[in-house]
Amino acid sequence: MRLRATWITCLALLLAAGALSERSWLSVRSCIPEIGPKQIEPTIGQGVLLGILGGFRTVIADMTWIRSYVLWERKDRPGCETLMRTACALDPHARYFWENTGYALGYDMAHWEIRRRGGYAKVPKEIQDHLFKSYARKGLEVLDEGVRLSKGRAALLVFAGQLAEMKLGDKQRAADYYRQAANTDSPPWYAARFCARNEWDAGHPMEAYVWFKTYWLDRLSKDSDHAPDDLELIRDMETHLKINLLSRIPRQAWEK
Amino acid sequence: MTFLEAVRQKFFAFLIVLGAAMVVSSVAFRFLDFGHGELKFIADFGFGGMFLFGSILAVVMTAQLFFAEMDNRTALTLLAKPLSRAEFLIGKFLGVWMILGLFVIILSALLGLVLWGRAQELSLLAEQSGRVAPDFSIRGLGIFAVLQWLRLSVVAAIVLAIAAAARTFLFAVILGALTVVAGQLQWIAQDVLLKPTESVLYKSILWLTSRMLPNLQQFNIGDALVLDSGTVAAASVGWVILSGLLYTSAYLLLGALVFRRREI
Amino acid sequence: MTSAISVRHVTKDFKMGLRGLKLRAVDDLSLEIPRGQVFGLLGPNGCGKSTTLKIVLGLVSGTSGEITILGFPSATAEARRRTGFLPEAPYFHKFLSGRELVRYCAQLSGVSAIKMDSAVEAALELAAMTEAASRPIGTYSKGMLQRIGLAQAIVHDPELVILDEPTAGVDPVGAAAIGRMIRTMRDQGKTVVLCSHLLGQVEQVCDRVAIMDRGRLVLEGRVDEVLAQRDRHLLTIEGLTPEARLAAESALAAHGARVLSVTHPRRSLEELFRELVTGSRDA
Repeated sequence: MRLRATWITCLALLLAAGALSERSWLSVRSCIPEIGPKQIEPTIGQGVLLGILGGFRTVIADMTWIRSYVLWERKDRPGCETLMRTACALDPHARYFWENTGYALGYDMAHWEIRRRGGYAKVPKEIQDHLFKSYARKGLEVLDEGVRLSKGRAALLVFAGQLAEMKLGDKQRAADYYRQAANTDSPPWYAARFCARNEWDAGHPMEAYVWFKTYWLDRLSKDSDHAPDDLELIRDMETHLKINLLSRIPRQAWEK
Repeated sequence: MTFLEAVRQKFFAFLIVLGAAMVVSSVAFRFLDFGHGELKFIADFGFGGMFLFGSILAVVMTAQLFFAEMDNRTALTLLAKPLSRAEFLIGKFLGVWMILGLFVIILSALLGLVLWGRAQELSLLAEQSGRVAPDFSIRGLGIFAVLQWLRLSVVAAIVLAIAAAARTFLFAVILGALTVVAGQLQWIAQDVLLKPTESVLYKSILWLTSRMLPNLQQFNIGDALVLDSGTVAAASVGWVILSGLLYTSAYLLLGALVFRRREI
Repeated sequence: MTSAISVRHVTKDFKMGLRGLKLRAVDDLSLEIPRGQVFGLLGPNGCGKSTTLKIVLGLVSGTSGEITILGFPSATAEARRRTGFLPEAPYFHKFLSGRELVRYCAQLSGVSAIKMDSAVEAALELAAMTEAASRPIGTYSKGMLQRIGLAQAIVHDPELVILDEPTAGVDPVGAAAIGRMIRTMRDQGKTVVLCSHLLGQVEQVCDRVAIMDRGRLVLEGRVDEVLAQRDRHLLTIEGLTPEARLAAESALAAHGARVLSVTHPRRSLEELFRELVTGSRDA
């Protein structure tokens, strides 16, 4: 009887511990860099397991990244992509991995693929464009995830904007990225300007003007130099859009 | 007695030296840093050393100390005394617990020293270049050390329970090591369990494994505690500690129950 | 008065392999070991005597049957508190000194802090290990190991002492010393159960013996009773001439007795060894 009670107590303790563990895991989960089974699978036998288990994440991420260089030299697209994504997953807080993975995917790998298929002369233009856009989207997926997980949000958003603008040709999407970058705590000085330009080029000049004007008034005007180049661009917009004088930004004392 | 026996073993000294070498050498490997932040890189070496060598120590030393008593037949002499099987097992655990504590304290102190030294150097450089100096939290490091000690205690309790049933040292070590790996990856099952699924059987199996096997990954919040102090709530740490204590108690009780039936 | 050890219909089966085959190590053993005596438990290898001892000490559980020690069920702490045990070929932590080991065992056995020092010294003295007590156990010879093992077994002043092969691997001088310690313990009122293959020593030291074979009790009783050949007599004669021998044989034949053999008595090699070697090399 006493023995049975002890076994029951043991089982109860285990169940209670498990229930508590579920609760505690939920509360600390956000503090641990996320890594899902999909990222683990391709490289599980390559020393990556050690990083996942709980130690040396940064070191293993670095080693994985260095190994990806070797594959980059060989233009081994699948291997390179796998290792780069793994490095991002192992240390998702590091902006460097996301940035360069996005770039490699968005700018380089389409060219590798074209060369693999026979070269620029052989691959039809439509296919080439399709590949450029396809890989640009992949690069943007990586950068989107990096924005979510890493700490260098502003920089990654700008890179995403550049990729959307130059490789995808999607001005609206580029504008959205630059807008997000401009709305971060420490945005690059050009982010708002790029947002406005792309929004304008995407065929929404009034929206571009309204947003840029509000942004200048709320943030840029408070800078030490009051961002005169941005104000100049706003003035151009006001002229093009024939904005009435009362709706424009009042003339500044320091304006030429 | 278990602690005295363990602390004399060359294996323990070897692991301490390896762990310490790893922590100290992290400063030399700085060139591998891809913009993580140097302190994070150094801290990662320390966390990794504590995890890797600490786990090896917990698994191997616990099994070794238990089987040494069985194989040398000192267990015969001890268990013939008015000492219950549970007291014997708990005594073994406490000895191992103390040695693990010593290991964690030494490595944490060394890591703290290396981090502090490098933080001072970086602080000077940052002042000169007008940038924000990186910093780390000693309090966070202390809390992390406690969590690692607790994690290793859970591992030791599991290995003791396995050893109580196992016939050989090798079997206990292999199964103990597999349990550590499973425990570190158990969070995957826990995450899947939190997502909705239609299969009752699948969910039941996951539920059972998530209860029986501790989620050891929850103790790995070193990054947040040491480098991003303030992002981990005290209550969260409390829950982790409580779950660790419950698992330790549960596995010690299981070990005592299994050992009760063992023929010496 | 209750027996020191009471074994009632104890059976022990060991499971072998996956097919559920059983090996019967102890077969319906019943035995009463009285208090205040030296009791020898003998038998060939594999007869079940070590298994019996382990069941008595609670290290192995019997398949069926009952064992009490001094009136207490054998697996209880009360029984073990009153029992001291020296296993065969004892092993102790080498880094401990003899005194530290005995003190450690005294603590485990529940000796109070007040009585600790005196109990430890008394045990060391009985085991003739006072001089070597401060040395690490790793420096001890075989005989010293056995004696320190004896000290740890008796430090808590148990009523029952169980010794498994206490003189195995020990030279005759050392073995004789251990024999004297056993007799001292008996004189102190303790019950000593001795398991040994050295029949000569058992014959000298034990009051009662039990012989086991294939898990069963074959014989049990007082040593002089079981060894005496009651139908034969031994005369030791000095100055027997051939004529006197013939006359004696005729006289005996007239009464129906028959002289089976006439030989010279021999002392044992052990006796000769002890006569020649003075003192122990152990000290």
